[in-house]
Amino acid sequence: MMISLHRKRVLLKAVAISGISAAVTFTGTANARTTQAEIDGDAASTQDVLSWGMGQQGQRYSPLKKINTDNVKKLVPAWSFSFGGEKQRGQEAQPVIKDGKMFVTASYSRLYAIDTKTGQELWQYDHRLPDGILPCCDVVNRGAALYDDLVIFGTLDARIIALHQDTGKVVWRAKIDDYKAGYSFTAAPLIVKDMVITGVSGGEFGVIGRVEARDAKTGKLRWIRPSVEGHMGHIWKGDKKMENGITGKTNATWPGDMWKTGGAATWQGGTYDHETDLIFYGTGNPAPWNAHLRPGDNLYSTSTLAIDPDTGKIVWHYQYTPNDGWDYDGVNELVSFNSGSDKLAGHADRNGFFYVLDRTNGKLKNAFPFVNRIDWAKGVDLKTGRPLETGVRPGDPTKSKDGKKGDVVFVAPSFLGAKNWMPMAYSPDTELFYVPANEWGMDLWNEPITYKKGAAYLGAGFTIKPLNDDYIGALRAVNPKTGKIVWEYKNNAPLWGGVMTTAGGLVFTGTPEGYLKAFDAKTGDELWKFQTGSGVVGCPVTWEQDGEQYIAVPSGWGGAVPLWGGDVAKKVKYLNQGGSLWVFKLSDV
Amino acid sequence: MKSIGQHLFLSCVFLCCLVNPSYAQQGQTDPLNSPMWEDMRRSLLGGAAVVFDDRVQVLAPVDAEDSMNVPVLVDASALGEVSKIVVFAELNPIHKVLELEPLQAKPIIGFRIKVQQATPVRAAALAGDGRWYVGGRIVDAAGGGCTLPSIGSENSDWASRMGEVAGRLWSNQDSTRLRMRVMHPMDTGLVPGIPAFYIDHLEFHDANGEILSRLSLHEPVSENPVLTLDLPRRDSVTVVGADNNGNPVNARFLPGKHEVEK
Repeated sequence: MMISLHRKRVLLKAVAISGISAAVTFTGTANARTTQAEIDGDAASTQDVLSWGMGQQGQRYSPLKKINTDNVKKLVPAWSFSFGGEKQRGQEAQPVIKDGKMFVTASYSRLYAIDTKTGQELWQYDHRLPDGILPCCDVVNRGAALYDDLVIFGTLDARIIALHQDTGKVVWRAKIDDYKAGYSFTAAPLIVKDMVITGVSGGEFGVIGRVEARDAKTGKLRWIRPSVEGHMGHIWKGDKKMENGITGKTNATWPGDMWKTGGAATWQGGTYDHETDLIFYGTGNPAPWNAHLRPGDNLYSTSTLAIDPDTGKIVWHYQYTPNDGWDYDGVNELVSFNSGSDKLAGHADRNGFFYVLDRTNGKLKNAFPFVNRIDWAKGVDLKTGRPLETGVRPGDPTKSKDGKKGDVVFVAPSFLGAKNWMPMAYSPDTELFYVPANEWGMDLWNEPITYKKGAAYLGAGFTIKPLNDDYIGALRAVNPKTGKIVWEYKNNAPLWGGVMTTAGGLVFTGTPEGYLKAFDAKTGDELWKFQTGSGVVGCPVTWEQDGEQYIAVPSGWGGAVPLWGGDVAKKVKYLNQGGSLWVFKLSDV
Repeated sequence: MKSIGQHLFLSCVFLCCLVNPSYAQQGQTDPLNSPMWEDMRRSLLGGAAVVFDDRVQVLAPVDAEDSMNVPVLVDASALGEVSKIVVFAELNPIHKVLELEPLQAKPIIGFRIKVQQATPVRAAALAGDGRWYVGGRIVDAAGGGCTLPSIGSENSDWASRMGEVAGRLWSNQDSTRLRMRVMHPMDTGLVPGIPAFYIDHLEFHDANGEILSRLSLHEPVSENPVLTLDLPRRDSVTVVGADNNGNPVNARFLPGKHEVEK
């Protein structure tokens, strides 16, 4: 067979490359399979990293402690890997690792398979992107998912691609939606019950957010749950597409036809809690930004949706910013954790508040600020779960003299958020969350806008401004019970990378200035740092191999800050782009 | 030092090779005298012994007018039963052009290729006797065909028509000729910043889903591939396949119609 012959050729190439290192060490079986049970047990297993969040609950906690507060100073590079080409910038991925192979995505929808022992490339997949893609916030990709013999990731032209782990050949490919309408995909897929769960990006273009489940083996749709009220959900019984109930109640919280282009993009990866059997997916800002055009709560924007994986129905929701007028989104991850017998979950919102929810029903247990200045609300009512707004909203442009520009307000946090996409970590040892926060505000005003396919749908203007001369970023250890900030590390440029914590008493995160840093999880003391050569906005991971603990992190400045950061430019304009992966282990000497 | 006599003799042998291919058939030396031939035999034909044979016809221009679109027709039907045809352009940076499993079709395939420089263009046909028969010719070219961006890629709109198929069937008593074109940039991956992106497999089915012929394509096939196949007589033919990104190619051809049902 011709096709299989071609496959064989590629396979032979891969075998030949790994054969070089086979002399040094065993590099894993050619037919490694990733089972759903392994994915469900990812948080506890130390030999691999199978899911976004280092476990589907998203804690980014590793029980490994070979690298710890005593010896972290001896951490040295094991190898580095270049993503190559001219496509530098914006490396926000979290690698996944299985049986001696690492799979890491890079900007511009690229995916690499690397021998974890040597750093040698096994294969790479470069997705051919059309010129008309519309990624709002840089050409990033946040990672891949492993399932069976597949490695699955999404692309900037809104496709999901499943590649064979051994060869990098396409096994299946699914179209999410029309990239010309503004749809794209940058998050890492989530694997739940043999399904691949994904969302959509494109909230700045008036797309409709939704969560989709596909058969992970074939890519066939199982259900679709829109995140804006009024839109019909669907479920597939075999090959038959059936209606599965409208999301919410049409026009309950949206006026007129505005819900038809209502945004609420599900652009961040979801988490899954096996204890409650719920998928937690965040939703973005309602569209357009100009909230005067859409009075009402605008459900289910700026919310966490808890979705039943079997039925594709919303079990509960919690909305962080009703009638969002500041582009605060609600898309940040919901991280499950237990406190005694309480099944809780933590969420650090762009709007500046940290929320603790009962994850069985979405009821608010606690809410408190994790940044120093919040202008739009003075708190969150723990009884009603609603924010206590101060009235600091941009003025209605229709009430201005010329009808073209409403009153300008200064409001903190900025729309890039007290915390953006970069995932936080939770340590069951310290019972603290480690939150990559930023202190900044914005001048914000509203303008008239009408929807046009593929065009930015904002109706707002803005400039971001730092609040302090000496720092924007602040890695904060947050106690979810007391709301206290236990320690903080201040950083000149805004923090934009993921956080990881380990049983070794360490917290790792990167800085735009190029450092990967390790902190004492209890005290916040900086114990180690390494200059990677470009800004670190990726997510660190750790795993164990041949008795040694390794740490990996992508390096490559980019993301939304240099594109949207306004007055922040003075802090970031000399940060150089890059595109590489660094792997560390303890020095032998 | 060679004597003049020896030199004349060698030249004579060389000339004889050109005018009398049957000499080469017996001798197994490469009639095109290509430095890459042994590499090709090893990498593409598994090192098997071959027979150079004019019954494997490769029709192509002596000079490529357009290095990005060199028309080629391979016809191995004079061999009788053929299970596989491998086509390669050995001085291209990517050698392999395509591989045809004729199955029920005649061992004939028409297509267009990109050439990077003057190169032999060859076809190896695996015949019913288990032996490889090889034919070919040299195509001269100004060069650059594989490392220039496709015309489509220079136009920001290339993605909007990608995968569009046009084609037509012509039938006589026992066979149906299909000539078709698929819109696709067929990027080689050798242009900086543009990854390899090409249709890599196509299958031709009849209305009952029976596989008539199977084709794998590689980077050197020209942008918007134009393909000609001689299939067994059928009223309709369906082509299904995909590129290396998994984008599908899917079309049905009906007799006498230019347009294609998707």
